[in-house]
Amino acid sequence: MDAKNIEQIVKEVMKSMNNQGAPAQGNPGAKLTRRDFPLLEKRPELLRSRSGLGLNEINLDKVVKGEINAEDLTIHPETLEMHAQICEDMGRNQMAASFRRAAELTAVPDERILEIYDQLRPYRCTKQELLDIAEELETKYSAKMNAELVREAAEVYEQREMLR
Amino acid sequence: MAERKEFKNKRFQILSEKPVNRHTYLKDWPEVGITAHDGVNDPKPSIKIENGLVVEMDGTRREDFDMIERFVADYFIDPEQAEKSMTMDSTAIAKMLVDICVPREEIIQIAKGFTPAKFKEVVTQLDECEIMMGIHKLRARKRPGNQCHCTNEPDNPVQMAADCAEARLRGFDEAEATTGVAPIAPLNSVALLVGGQVPNVGLLCQNAVEEAVELQLGMRGLTTYAETVSVYGTERVFADGDDTPWSKMFLASAYASRGLKLRFTSGSGSEVQMGAAEGKSMLYHEIKCIMLTRGAGVQGLQNGAVSCNGIAMSVAGGVNSVHMENLVTAMCDLENASSNDQIFSPSDLRRAARTFPLMWAGTDFIFSGYGCMPNYDNMFAGANFDSNDYDDYLVIQRDLVVDGGLRPVTEEEVTAVRNRAARAIQAVYREMGWPEITDEEVEAATYANGSRDMPPRDIRADLDAAREMMKQRVTGVDIIRALAKTGFEDIAERILKMQIHKIAGDFLHTSAIITPENKVLAAVNNLNDYQGPGTGYRLQFYPERWNEIKSIPQESSPEDYE
Repeated sequence: MDAKNIEQIVKEVMKSMNNQGAPAQGNPGAKLTRRDFPLLEKRPELLRSRSGLGLNEINLDKVVKGEINAEDLTIHPETLEMHAQICEDMGRNQMAASFRRAAELTAVPDERILEIYDQLRPYRCTKQELLDIAEELETKYSAKMNAELVREAAEVYEQREMLR
Repeated sequence: MAERKEFKNKRFQILSEKPVNRHTYLKDWPEVGITAHDGVNDPKPSIKIENGLVVEMDGTRREDFDMIERFVADYFIDPEQAEKSMTMDSTAIAKMLVDICVPREEIIQIAKGFTPAKFKEVVTQLDECEIMMGIHKLRARKRPGNQCHCTNEPDNPVQMAADCAEARLRGFDEAEATTGVAPIAPLNSVALLVGGQVPNVGLLCQNAVEEAVELQLGMRGLTTYAETVSVYGTERVFADGDDTPWSKMFLASAYASRGLKLRFTSGSGSEVQMGAAEGKSMLYHEIKCIMLTRGAGVQGLQNGAVSCNGIAMSVAGGVNSVHMENLVTAMCDLENASSNDQIFSPSDLRRAARTFPLMWAGTDFIFSGYGCMPNYDNMFAGANFDSNDYDDYLVIQRDLVVDGGLRPVTEEEVTAVRNRAARAIQAVYREMGWPEITDEEVEAATYANGSRDMPPRDIRADLDAAREMMKQRVTGVDIIRALAKTGFEDIAERILKMQIHKIAGDFLHTSAIITPENKVLAAVNNLNDYQGPGTGYRLQFYPERWNEIKSIPQESSPEDYE
């Protein structure tokens, strides 16, 4: 094998390695993968806060002036979807599902989340009360996956006698 | 318990007075579950799948599943993979665990199709050395890490902030508070939030309190992660803990929805301690907890007996079996905070033997945690290792060329960060209108070893402030503002960076930590790739880190002898 051939092979290998390492940039339909991780370094342009602020709009000065508040510093549901996609790429499907349920829960206020958690504890609710929570999650917050979780809990609690 | 026996033989008498004999040792009583992994009712592995649904698992038919079994069957087991994995010979799989030529991802894939009994049948074939080899190869994050406890007996905020700052300087990736008195929780969170970011950015902080309160503290931006979210291996014990797998699964998503990292907690012995082990072994129950954690979509688990290690380690093979549960956690592709946590024996040799194999194997968090203050200040009922052990630990890292997650420090560096943390928390208290922190307290915290070196505070006034701050919905942003307004912009900036991590969400991933350079390392971009010599995390690849580890201040150089 002559030197030229080797050079060719090395170039090919380098090219394929670079391709592997490149994030899914410029391909809007493509799902995110481990190559996009961490988003803060690799894909900062995709990130915004729950209130819609881009990362370059967040600084200490604005926080001190009161232009940015605690509500601005929380995660956006689309960001959770991106992380769900990265989980799927890693073979972590249950985590992906949890992040998707989390994306739904970004719409539910803190107090209501704490209440629903308490109501899901054993012996707290009747079956109907749990089904009502599921209905509320689905209609009021479009939280379909969470509604499903609560419905399943209602069924299991009934079977295992853990309803109120 | 029987009174200590008096011996006529002098050697026996001396031995009987040794610390190792101040511990209780139990004979196996498998009928009630007092056994490491040989319960009379431990089932044999089996699975039946119909139309993608698990209809029988480990000899129990679906209609007879309790809620834990149902959850594990439906949320953990991959039916397609199970068809393959369950027919594989368990000894052959056990050999794959320690075979450096079998990559981690292959094991992870096979384990997705296991039942609890299959896990048990595989891991119980390994000896202690092989278990550590398995953990070395299968732990999720490439770089091992460490977590500390940060508490003190009187809930003194100045000392807590100073201890937390020192802990970060010493290299901890996470710090865990709890309380002496429960309502003080939010102020303890503030102490860690502020103190932890003094030396550099990135320390993750939690506060181990009641589940709903813990979530609330996170929602307010006062913590960055949670760990004390307990799961159990039987339905009755789970319900006694006032939860179900479904409530916990909901809680897990609630944490992620606020950009907070979460791991669950479990550990051998909780079921038998609560009198509901059903004649099954501690390891069998614990395996269900591990599977349930993955099933719920949680990234990691703290286990290794943890607070029930008194019972787990009193039986024959107890420590060995607890290490097996750490291994199963790694096999489930979960972050593992591997306990080494509560005191279980006054014997230095025993606590070392329980701990060091995991340090050598390396886990995501070797301790969960290591007491960063003296033992008398540990409000988690003591830690297996604490501030008195720092130098031993550092020298052992150096002796064995192993990264246990800590770094040597000088008195000057420690004094500087402790003082700055104490002054910062003083400024925050003043700005927020909370009870005054005096200069005398700042001075004491700068040089204190523990709360016995601190002037007393009026705990009732602090408690009133803590209640008031919860009522007024004080958030992490208020603390950032207080710091920025009082000349601590650098700390304010770092806390803001931690809030930005909650927007980015990268640190929600498996085994995530944040380095002092503000980079997220997780089992995604820092996945363990160990496959024998020349691979994985080894100090020869990180000469700067090795230089740091080996350069202890006690070293003498040839010139010292001139």
